[in-house]
Amino acid sequence: MWRFALWEGGRFALGLFGAALLAAGISALSVAGGQGGGRAFLSAMAGRLLAFLRLDFGTGAGGQDVLHELVARSPTTLALVLLGAVIAFLFGVPLGLLLSGGPLRRAAAPLIQIVAAAPVFCAGLALALIAQRLFHRPAGGATALLLAALTVGLAGAAAVQLALRRAAAEIQYAPFRLGLRQLGLPAPEIDRVYVAPLVFAGAFRGLGDVMLALLSATLVAEGIFKCPGLADLFLTSVALRDWNAAALVLFAFAGAALLADFAGRLGAQTIAAR
Amino acid sequence: MSIVSVSAPPAAAAFLRRFLVCVGWSGLGLVAVAVVLSDFLAPVPAGATHIGPLLSAPSARFPFGTDLAGRDMFSETLHGLSVTVAQACEAAAPAILAGGLLGFMSAHLPRPAGLVLRWAIGVLAAVPALLLAILALGLIGRGFAGIAAGLAVAPLAFMHAFDRAGAAGNSVYAGYARAMGVSASTLLRRDLAYEFRDRFVSSAARAFVTVTIVLATVGFLHFGAEPPQRDLGLMISDATATDMQAWWTAVFPALGLLILILLARLAAGPDEGARP
Repeated sequence: MWRFALWEGGRFALGLFGAALLAAGISALSVAGGQGGGRAFLSAMAGRLLAFLRLDFGTGAGGQDVLHELVARSPTTLALVLLGAVIAFLFGVPLGLLLSGGPLRRAAAPLIQIVAAAPVFCAGLALALIAQRLFHRPAGGATALLLAALTVGLAGAAAVQLALRRAAAEIQYAPFRLGLRQLGLPAPEIDRVYVAPLVFAGAFRGLGDVMLALLSATLVAEGIFKCPGLADLFLTSVALRDWNAAALVLFAFAGAALLADFAGRLGAQTIAAR
Repeated sequence: MSIVSVSAPPAAAAFLRRFLVCVGWSGLGLVAVAVVLSDFLAPVPAGATHIGPLLSAPSARFPFGTDLAGRDMFSETLHGLSVTVAQACEAAAPAILAGGLLGFMSAHLPRPAGLVLRWAIGVLAAVPALLLAILALGLIGRGFAGIAAGLAVAPLAFMHAFDRAGAAGNSVYAGYARAMGVSASTLLRRDLAYEFRDRFVSSAARAFVTVTIVLATVGFLHFGAEPPQRDLGLMISDATATDMQAWWTAVFPALGLLILILLARLAAGPDEGARP
């Protein structure tokens, strides 16, 4: 287990280093401005990487420190992601388990396709429309934040149930199941003791994908419900070609996804080892 | 009820699967015809304003109603669908080539080179594809929405193809083949042929689904098609200007988008998710 944790820790650190390189490359666009050729760009990139080590992430288009901007906007995005994750697991796990059953999974497959065909922004707009019809005014304040979290959560729930169904499908015809049945173990016992841990371990391995779904959904939800968080900062930065801020948000998002992937792999290994 | 069933899938399930795939491809064929003939099928050209009264509800004259600028929503939805499909086809190519094919080839490179490539692309895959697409559009300009979306989705396709090819390379038959003196290039050709035969069509449909969702969302966030050209995402976004009072300006483009994605998902095979 320790060897696995060290290996995965190394992968995580390498991933973070790669994300920092990517962010430095983007941030270097502000310095090099696309002039001076490859050598100037590489030199600017190295400079930005060294500056990152000193926690100097540069200034934005308006002259503000982008790290301060990031810290100021983080709570909104953090709240959206955390609330969204709670909603995602609350809805996604039961749905995923329910639809993991062989016959039910096959019967529900067309229905799942229809539901999953809706892009996140369509779901967000539908929620906004329902709220408007209920409250007779556009959602604002805490209502907007809740609706945005619900949008993020629904996107996350789709990812959670997908991870569970994938994990269940992978061991659907595993030889050990037939062997255990032939040994006389009842199906519920096999499911509870042997199959469920493997399904959950498989789902844990998909935690990085779930985080990617949550982060993508914040990008849309913050726009629809006017909750200015990190995703909104990213959109504004790219529109204004403010590469320092865009690079920092990208690094933060990549870091969150890599961390979720790392935690998921550790969790999966822990469950599978028991 | 068992979490997973031990028995093989019944014939009815296999038939349903094949039927749904047929429905998906037939539907996509109809969409392709509608897109090719959109200039003939649409009563008015794209972007023509003041065709009818402003924000007129669906009626016999305007079956999808009109929008804030008096545009015929039926014609606009058809033109928007045409723009979205064209961009998605443009995007699916780099997603398949720079993603799937490159990932498959990279898994057959010498191990250190393959691992370095996988690490580099893995970093890109840790960033949501939507963010990458917006970043790429900010760098190369909004006129290249299709290519940007394709390149943004490519890292995910690369990772899946790389891992699949890696598993095939470590399989028992590959071990036997190597022991019998079969060269690495012959094994690669053999794996590629089987990959193309078994997975290309469904992978292409899955890539189409993912890039369509990314493109529509990018359009919705005003980073996609440049006005006066409008894709379905931008049309839905424009509809929010009326605070959703004129529901038909959002619902019909959204339905067009949902049907397009649903058909492509069915064509990809109903067991899989949105991964390219």
